[in-house]
Amino acid sequence: MEKIQQLKQQAIDFIESAKQVEEVNQIRIEYLGKKGHVANLMNLMKELPNEEKPKLGAKVNELKQELTARIDEKMMILKQQAMLENLEKEKIDITLQGYQSTLGTIHPLTMITQEIEDLFLGMGYQVAEGPEIELDIYNFEKANTPKNHPARDMQDTFYINPEVLLRTHTTAIQMRELEKANGKLPIKLICPGKVYRRDDDDATHSHQFMQAEGLVVGKNITLSDLKGTLQYMANHLFGQGRTIRFRPSYFPFTEPSVEVDVSCHICNGQGCNVCKSTGFIEVLGAGMVHPNVLKANGFDPEVCSGFAFGIGLERVAMLKYGIDDIRNFYINDIRFLKMFHRFD
Amino acid sequence: MKYSYNWLKEYVDLKDINVYNLAEKMTAAGMEVEAITPLASGTNLVIGEIIDCQKHQDSDHLHVCKVDIKEEVLQIVCGAKNARTGLKVIVAKVGAKLPNIEIKKAKLRGVESFGMLCSLKELGVNTKYLSEHQLSGIEELPEDALVGNSNVLEYLGYDDFIIDVGLTPNRSDCNGIFNMAKEIGAILNRKVMLPSLSMTEYEAKSTFKVDVLTEACHNFLAKVIHHVEIKESPLWMKRHLEAVGIKSINNIVDISNYVMLETGQPLHFYDLNIIHDHLVVKDDYSGIYTALDGNSYQIEKEDIMIFNQNKPVGIAGIMGGNDSKITMDTKGIVIEAASFHSVNIRRTSKRLNLFTESSTRFTKGIDIQALNKAMLRSVDLLVKYAGAKEIEETVWFKQDCFTPTMIETDLTYINGLLGTSFLKEEVHRVLEALDFYPQWNQEVVTCKIPSYRSDIKLPADIAEEVIRLIGFDSLQATMPTMEATVGLLNKKQQNRRLIRNFLASSGLNEIVTYTLINQEYASHNVLPFDDTVALLSPMSNERKFIRNSLINSVLECANYNVARKNNNVNLFEISNVYGTTKVKERLAIYLSNYLHQSRLFKMEVKVDFYVLKGLLVNLFKKMGYEAHRVSFKVDQQIDVNIFHPYRVCNVYVDDVVVGCFGQIHPEYASQFDLEEVYYAEINLDDLYKIKTDKVQFKAIDKYPSVKRDIALVCKDEVSAKDLMNCIKIHDYVCDVEIFDIYRGSHVEDGYKSVAIALTYQANDHTLQEEEINEVHNQILENLKHKVNAVLRG
Repeated sequence: MEKIQQLKQQAIDFIESAKQVEEVNQIRIEYLGKKGHVANLMNLMKELPNEEKPKLGAKVNELKQELTARIDEKMMILKQQAMLENLEKEKIDITLQGYQSTLGTIHPLTMITQEIEDLFLGMGYQVAEGPEIELDIYNFEKANTPKNHPARDMQDTFYINPEVLLRTHTTAIQMRELEKANGKLPIKLICPGKVYRRDDDDATHSHQFMQAEGLVVGKNITLSDLKGTLQYMANHLFGQGRTIRFRPSYFPFTEPSVEVDVSCHICNGQGCNVCKSTGFIEVLGAGMVHPNVLKANGFDPEVCSGFAFGIGLERVAMLKYGIDDIRNFYINDIRFLKMFHRFD
Repeated sequence: MKYSYNWLKEYVDLKDINVYNLAEKMTAAGMEVEAITPLASGTNLVIGEIIDCQKHQDSDHLHVCKVDIKEEVLQIVCGAKNARTGLKVIVAKVGAKLPNIEIKKAKLRGVESFGMLCSLKELGVNTKYLSEHQLSGIEELPEDALVGNSNVLEYLGYDDFIIDVGLTPNRSDCNGIFNMAKEIGAILNRKVMLPSLSMTEYEAKSTFKVDVLTEACHNFLAKVIHHVEIKESPLWMKRHLEAVGIKSINNIVDISNYVMLETGQPLHFYDLNIIHDHLVVKDDYSGIYTALDGNSYQIEKEDIMIFNQNKPVGIAGIMGGNDSKITMDTKGIVIEAASFHSVNIRRTSKRLNLFTESSTRFTKGIDIQALNKAMLRSVDLLVKYAGAKEIEETVWFKQDCFTPTMIETDLTYINGLLGTSFLKEEVHRVLEALDFYPQWNQEVVTCKIPSYRSDIKLPADIAEEVIRLIGFDSLQATMPTMEATVGLLNKKQQNRRLIRNFLASSGLNEIVTYTLINQEYASHNVLPFDDTVALLSPMSNERKFIRNSLINSVLECANYNVARKNNNVNLFEISNVYGTTKVKERLAIYLSNYLHQSRLFKMEVKVDFYVLKGLLVNLFKKMGYEAHRVSFKVDQQIDVNIFHPYRVCNVYVDDVVVGCFGQIHPEYASQFDLEEVYYAEINLDDLYKIKTDKVQFKAIDKYPSVKRDIALVCKDEVSAKDLMNCIKIHDYVCDVEIFDIYRGSHVEDGYKSVAIALTYQANDHTLQEEEINEVHNQILENLKHKVNAVLRG
């Protein structure tokens, strides 16, 4: 019995002091192996009187169980320790840069076009397009601007021949679509595209630029509906809380015609450099489709009415992002393009 | 158009409304005020008299003046040569604010000075209205100027503002100040008092003759006045003219301008000594004509000309002649008030590049009733300010008579179009203020439109006037209520977005470049196309043609970026190109250097032919054309001046060529300072026409696959496609991948070693070793016989 106690203490000491998994395995073999110390104890059994044998057997078993438990436990602790040590060796510098594949960009003018398209698609508009080399008929005549109309002077035109030109506005798309619809209601269109005017290129002028025009024709369409629609667009493009203001204007293809000012997004209408202290910025032109335009395309102005608006996309981008030179859009310095990696 | 605030004030009641309030109201009603400029400005001014003027002891040009300003005598040091005792002057006292300076107490070379004696220039008067003498010294006021008068600007007639209005083309009627006054009256709802115009009683019979031999002259009025006195115009008239930008010449010329500005009707005054019996209007003259400005102009048929004694005396509606102009010796005059067809005037004016106050008015169209108004008004002013006597009756040639436009509309239409609920009274007030003489029958109103408002033709025009003058603030913001419609991008529009998103996420930057290009660029095209379209009147040779390919615009953009040391320039553009009969939407892709590059992680994609090829295959897959439908061949004509002759090919989807790509020829690239760069141009419109694959479920393979790698040696010219054709001979071959190509030691010159991984799989059972061997050996045989490719020993 004494020997058991001694052996037990000895084994426990070894287990406690073991530092490595291998050491513990060694202890397991030494004590619990087939020829280990515990097995040897059983050999002592032979020398004991019969009545003592079960007692000793029980004790040895107890010892065996206890040592097994202690070894298992130690083993687990050591394994965990070993794992932790290994993991620690794998420590990395998390501040080092990550691998970033090159991010490409979509041109800011495309992004604005898509934003406007999406806004109106959500309201049930279709996106309509048309040729940039256009017939005078669609660019001017059908838009209530016959030859020698003074309004033609407002847009100096690139002609290809007396009947063919580079379109000066996306209104030409509207005229094509109205003709195509030939009196069938309703019409809800957004018409984005490139347009061309004989302007010398400088910081604020470009012989090529982009417009998006909207057109709605239906029953009981009012000027108030135009205001509501543009209010919605202004909020989307320039942020919530924008208000809009109409001022009378003149376009041959709308009547009444209005210039639309949006409250300044920089100063919130308080007055600043951008809005020239007026609190408002002129952003687009709009109006009610001229009865002559409706008639020329097979619509009865007595039965239906419509509104149209047109917005310059470079101007929107320049105002939104504070871009000071329109030529940036067409020079395409990739440092410029990368500034617009998302629509905001 | 510029307006004088004071001039307007003579006709419309502007009491209690300053120029800025007026401008705000005008802008809100569609008369956009673009600028307000004071004619002159200055505070703390007073009229003084120099009572003593001594030379400054320490200066050779300064004077020390004692200036009486009634309440005190100021000592002022003045540098003007014309400062002298007894001169009445403009004094800016200490504290005065002038356009460019603020006057402070100062010491000039030891002598104290309490103010400044001013020239008109210092008050901000435009120097073009000042004489040499006025510009060289201080302003010399008349002897009767009242010392101590502190309303100096008013005394000088400079207490005025110039209101610059951007008139819309439909409101050319407001080129006449009378009409602008009426407009302002309507905007402010205030009274307008225009000068009353009536026939003078003392008119004599006239023998003067007018002949009109062209249809482009609708009306022609002439009047002979035998006696006028040429002199200076009254101060107010000079100032009014200065305000709108016209320099005073003499009373007669000034009156013709003054009346034109008031009525919008250009007038021409001839010297009666030269033109005394008749005027003829014709449009069949051609030849050189020297006009009033001394320049010679090439006159062609259809230009309207005024003739006298078979000699041209003026380009109608644009500029008169030198011979018959008003001079200091003019004793009598002939007044011409005519209306010419705007198209003719516009055409002539444009061709001669001669734009005058008169021509711009005729071009924009003038009020048919203004002719006689202008005639009467000029007689009135000539009598008052030029001593006009012996006035003959007006000689008329009249073709057009005015019949007022009558417009009938109703309240429901107006409110319906505007989305408003204006009352009859509100609408009535506007229509009355506009002199539309509204007559109501219940809700229906009939308007009689005055002659000068030729822009008002339809009920919609009436609605605009109503909302414009009641104010847009009353307009609510509503959304259209109508039947539901579906908003959806069409296939082409969706594809465009897909391409953009795919290429942008592959690391490329979208660009937008100009459509107009130069002749040299237009002469290159990477894909067969139509002839190039040229502009009729380009602004420069650089932008004369409409592009037929995107290549040069894209290379130009790359050049710009490379010149600015931007690395890894990888670009794409989607744009239309145009030929004489065709429009095509094209996609251009440009790759250079690295598509991706991370030195730290040793990951990089160096751009080459295959990177671009892979990008295209993936793009086409995204668009619905699986790799097996996309092929690359060199059989369409490719411009080898643009492309590297051995690194280029056409791209086919099924059997349709949709574009080409390859390395840009090093020589061509060097024209843009570029080196090894790759370019693809795809005809999207052709691509869109090809049917796309259907996305469909296929059972995932259940049976295991077996991989076998082989290394072949074959001649260099054996293509990957040749090898593939030998390998893909059985359904069991489900995947083939070339994973290495080697040339060098252990491989004979002119030969290459190609390592290929083959994957065998059947979709209905697990392949047995023997089955695989059979196919595998067949493949090896095939390779050996067909392309002489043998297993590497």
